[in-house]
Formats: sequence, structure tokens, C-alpha cells
Amino acid sequence: MEFKVEAHRIMSISLGKIYNSRVQRGGIKLHKNLLVSLVLRSARQVYLSDYYGGICLSAQQAREWCEGEYMTSDQDKLIPGSTESLSESDETSDVAVDKQEPRDVVESPAAQHVETQASGEQDSAENGLSVSGCSDINTPEESPEATPTCEVASVVTAISSNCISAPSPSDPNEATETPTDCQTDNSESAENHSDEPKAPQAYTNRKRTAEDSELTDSPTKRTKVTSTSLPSTNDENKGETEEMDTSNVSSLITIFGSSFSGLLSNKEGEQPDSEAEDSDSGQICCDQMLKNLNPWSTAIVAF
Amino acid sequence: MAGVAGGNDFQWCFSQVKGAIDEDVAEADIISTVEFNHSGELLATGDKGGRVVIFQHEQECKNRPHLRGEYNVYSTFQSHEPEFDYLKSLEIEEKINKIRWLPQQNSAHFLLSTNDKTIKLWKIGERDKRAEGYNLKDEDGRLRDPFRITSLRVPVLMPMDLMVEASPRRVFANAHTYHINSISVNSDHQTYLSADDLRINLWHLEITDRSFNIVDIKPANMEELTEVITAAECHPNQCNVFVYSSSKGTIRLCDMRTAALCDRHTKFFEEPEDPSSRSFFSEIISSISDVKFSHSGRYMMTRDYLSVKVWDLNMENRPVETYQVHEYLRSKLCSLYENDCIFDKFECCWNGSDSAIMTGSYNNFFRMFDRNTRKDITLEASRESSKPRATLKPRKVSTGGKRKKDEISVDSLDFNKKILHTAWHPKENVIAVAATNNLYIFQDKIN
Repeated sequence: MEFKVEAHRIMSISLGKIYNSRVQRGGIKLHKNLLVSLVLRSARQVYLSDYYGGICLSAQQAREWCEGEYMTSDQDKLIPGSTESLSESDETSDVAVDKQEPRDVVESPAAQHVETQASGEQDSAENGLSVSGCSDINTPEESPEATPTCEVASVVTAISSNCISAPSPSDPNEATETPTDCQTDNSESAENHSDEPKAPQAYTNRKRTAEDSELTDSPTKRTKVTSTSLPSTNDENKGETEEMDTSNVSSLITIFGSSFSGLLSNKEGEQPDSEAEDSDSGQICCDQMLKNLNPWSTAIVAF
Repeated sequence: MAGVAGGNDFQWCFSQVKGAIDEDVAEADIISTVEFNHSGELLATGDKGGRVVIFQHEQECKNRPHLRGEYNVYSTFQSHEPEFDYLKSLEIEEKINKIRWLPQQNSAHFLLSTNDKTIKLWKIGERDKRAEGYNLKDEDGRLRDPFRITSLRVPVLMPMDLMVEASPRRVFANAHTYHINSISVNSDHQTYLSADDLRINLWHLEITDRSFNIVDIKPANMEELTEVITAAECHPNQCNVFVYSSSKGTIRLCDMRTAALCDRHTKFFEEPEDPSSRSFFSEIISSISDVKFSHSGRYMMTRDYLSVKVWDLNMENRPVETYQVHEYLRSKLCSLYENDCIFDKFECCWNGSDSAIMTGSYNNFFRMFDRNTRKDITLEASRESSKPRATLKPRKVSTGGKRKKDEISVDSLDFNKKILHTAWHPKENVIAVAATNNLYIFQDKIN
């Protein structure tokens, strides 16, 4: 548990550093940002591996609990396994790259549980997250937290890499590609500047163009988790903040969870409801972080 | 303990300190590089404001031969100005990252200074004579009316007050996309290399509009980037050999005779990581911040965050010597990460005979290691111990529970007072230590 808290703290510090490097004099320093992104990745891996250590033990209970949950949950959106959530995941999968995988996992979580428990960390990262939505009280709290950090890491990698790749003079192909990306995102982000939930969409597009396998996995993870995150944020949120020692970090994670899930649910009318249920500190952090997200797109444009 | 670099009766003592005493340090005054020239007569410093200050060693006083002369300001000039890259909307810092002297070939001195993007070759020359008695112009320089000239005379050289002029002779620009971290003059005295995060270029000192790219580690897909170049240096006597270090703690030695593009190394130096000491910050602390060849060319030294390693060029799998600089910081890595100190790039240097090495630490401490006796010493550059010819007292950081008298605990260390740049005179036991905005010069006490 302590490792998770520490990992969370390090991840939030790393994100702050990457954000601050944008405004530093002399431009973004490639070396320092590379090191910070490596720390961010290590912290994320520790956090996820620590998390999955707990998952494997309660797999059986999780499966039974999960099926019960589908029947009794009052939440009308994004419940895994239910028909409503299937329609949700259809919508979400329209946005994401990998349409097949998330739908398969969401549709037959029970069948997947047995398989995924035996698989390596990479697979368990994806499937465990869908398990998390329906397992015991710890895991729903962690699922929105875990994936946003995956996304954050990949966002960070994407941003830093795209920031770096733009100014290459010796590679004309790259130079022409990335400004186009920047322009696409710029137009999107310019349009959506005032629309907070859509700001992260710039990053969605960026991840789609990435060829790195790690990045293509992350949209997969994201769609699965967002299908499970809203129920957790709605009814588990207060419980989560009590359990986590670092409330501001959990708020950070909740923010990412709610903002990304709000994007993918396409039900923005309902989005304010879920956000209203956040803790006060979460709301404040939410505003700050979402404001912070917008300048990132301008940073990409600058490069 | 005394005894480093010269025998058991050897002691370091204070000689001079340059710089303002104010508590308020202007950012532009922070020294960013220190370098002796090849004879040791000149000592150059560069600062964050883009200025270069050169000190000259005064001749020893004839009255008091046991005292070495002092270093006094010889020349000051603005080397680089802040620039703005309009295309990328980026400001280019004027901070001098490195200064390297060229070997002296005539009465003038030449040095290369670089900021993040541009390298400049400066000529520092003396003028102590002036021609007087021109025919076509009078003493003020105004042209004389040709009809007034009734006789011819030969101009005569008259002595004048010594004037030291620094003039930029070459500007090597627009060759680096990323931030330049190193420059190194080749032993052929005609070429030099410059290294940024992903590329190394080879220049000819006479040609400014072209450079050869000899190393390029930029991946086709920037998202696959895993390491960057952190330092590079030419071999001191083999003009075809150079090394570059990476953020992953590896050093590659390349031979320019093998290929035009030296992406494939000739030798690869890496020490296997100790798996028991793995932490979140293992990658950061293994990043090499400086690499220096020994004067002999047989060894090279690398500095990572916690240690200095000496490598034999003939053995690639591990260093021959490892010296811990401040191992007590290993348990503090998380807080050092938070306050950004973990990213500090410490430099290291050899003494003239390659028998000792020196590097900096925090709290204005710097460390020296004697390679023969394996003794090490920690000294402090502070105003308190700055009495003329005062012997420096060795300092100690207490790592255990009990703190002895005169020891300082790890938590009391001032991490804002860091010594990143040090230089050792190539022939004598004189060292220059840059402590933020002050330059300390220490020398040995001749008994």
C-alpha cells in the first residue's frame, strides 16, 4: 500500500515537472524530460504491479461479485456486462482504436477472468482493469486511477516526443508530418478550448497516430476502464478518498477518470452529475488540472 | 586527510576568491564553466549571462619566491547574447555551456565558447604598441588634406597601455537542433566536435558554414527515444578517436576511420547494474554527466550522480576504479528528485599527472581522490575559510546516527550551494572551484 502511495506521489510530481518544463526559459530540455518520463513509467509500473498483486488473490470472489453487481447496480451508464453498458462501450469503442478487444472483454468478463489471471502483466493490465470494475471495494477505486496514469504516461510520452520530433531539420518527412498533427490538434483544441472534457481529445488523436505498441494499448485500456469508472466515481468516490492517504492524488486520478470518461461517454449532460459528486478538493484540483491540460496542446503547437 | 595528490605533507590552502559577496546572487552571475588553458597561465570562466571572464596568472613576485602569483582579470567580454527562435517560439539562453581553449600557436590566445545553439571562436590578443606618425592621417585619425603634405615620414611604433582585445573570429551556427552539451578540440588542432542531445558534429576551425555529422542517435520514431548523448570528448592524442556518454550510463568509443557516420561504436563501456539497488531513480542516477580522458589517453573518467568511475580504455565491461562522491544521498533520492537536485550535472577533472581526480558536491563541498594511495578528502569552498594562505580543513559528512564534532549531518547540507564546475591546473597544484557566483582558487602549501 505504501508503495502505491509513493508511486502516486512520484507520478504527480513528475507530471508537474513536465508541465513546468514547458514554461522554462531556453525551451524544453530533452534529457531532463526523458529522465522524468522514465521515472513516471517506473512509478506507474510499480503502482500497477502492486495493484495486480492484490487482484490475483481475489479473482474468484471478484467474478461472483461481478455478476451480482450487473444485476443490482442502479447506475444507468457504463456498467460492464449490462446491455446498457454494451451500448456505451459501442459508443466508446467508436472513439478508440481497438474496437474488438474492449467489446470482447466487456461482454464476457467472466470468461475472460480465468484466462487473464494466467497471463502476463501486459494482458492483465488490460483485463484486470475490466475485472476491477466489478470486484471488491478496493479495485473500483483503483481502476480509474490506474488507467488515467497509463494514459498520462502515454500522453506525456506523446507530448514530449511530438514536441521533440517537430523541430528536426534533417528529417523532412517527419518535419512535415508533425506540424500537420500539430495543426490538426491545434484546430481541435482551439475549437474546444472552452470545452473542458474535449480538451483531452487532442491527445486521443495523437495517440491514434502513434505507432508505438505501448501507446496503442492505452486507448484499449482507456475504453475498458471508462466503462467501469463512472459507477465507481459515482458511488465509490467518497469511500475512495477515505481509503487513500493522499487525497489530492486520488483527486488527480478521479479528475482524469472523470474527464476522460466524460469524453468517451458522449453523454455530457450527465457528466456534470458525476463531477458534482466529487469531493470539494477534487473539484478544485479538477479545474486546475483541466486548465493545465489545455496549455499542453499549445505546447505541441509551439514545437 | 591531507596527503592527496602529492604526498603526506601536502595541504591545500586558500589563495583567492573572485566574485561578489552579496547574499543575493543574480542569476546571470552564476558561473557555468571553468577551464584552464594548456599552459595554465590563463583561466577562463563563463556565466549564465553569456559573459566570459579570463584571468591571467601574474608572474611570481621576485621578493617572495615562495608565493605563487595571483590570478587577475585579463579580459572580460560578452560572448553570447540571448536570442529568440521565431520559428519555434523559443528563447535561446545565452548561458555559456562550455569553454575550450585551443593550443597556443602564436602570441594570441584562442578559445571556443558555446551556448545551447551556437559556438564561437574568440581571439584574445594583446596590443601594447601603437603606430604613430602616419602620413595620410593625423593623430586623431582624420584624413589629412593631401595638398598639405609636404614631407614623408616613416610611422614609428610607440608603446601604449596594454590593451587586451577579444574579437569573435568565427561563428559556428545553425548546426544543432537540440541543446549543445559539449565541445572538444581535436588533437590535430584543426577540427573540433560539438555534441547535442542526439547528434555529434565535426567542424573544421576555418569553416563555419558546414559541419560533418558523425553521430546521430535520433530514432526514426521519436517515441522510441530511450537515451540521449550527455557528453563527448576527443582523445588527447589520437585524432581519430572520440568518446560520448549517454543518459543510460554507457560510454561509446568511436573511431572516425571506420565510417563517415560513427553510429556503430568501436568500444562500448558499461558496468552491469546492481539489481539490489534498483529504485525509481536508478536511471536518473546512472546518467553520466561528464566524461574526461586522462592526459595520457590511457584512461577516461565518468561522473554520474553519486560516483566517479575511472575506465581503462582496454577494458569495456567494468571500470577499473569507482569512487563514491556522496553515497549518503542514496537514501534521499526522492527528495532530491522533488527539488530537482537529482538532475544536477557535476563535472570532474584530472590533475596534470593523472594521479588524482576531483569533483564537486553539495554544501560547497568538493572531493578529491588520490588514485595511488586511495585516499580521499572533502574540502569546502566558503568565505569563512578564505583567509590568505589559510589551510583548508577537511570536512566530513556524518552518515551514521552519532554525529561527531565538526561533522555535518546530511540533513543540514545546503543543496542550493552546489559545486558543479572545477578545474585543475595542467602542471601545478592549483585548482579553480566555481561555487555559484564565486570562483575560488586554491593551491598547495609549499613547505
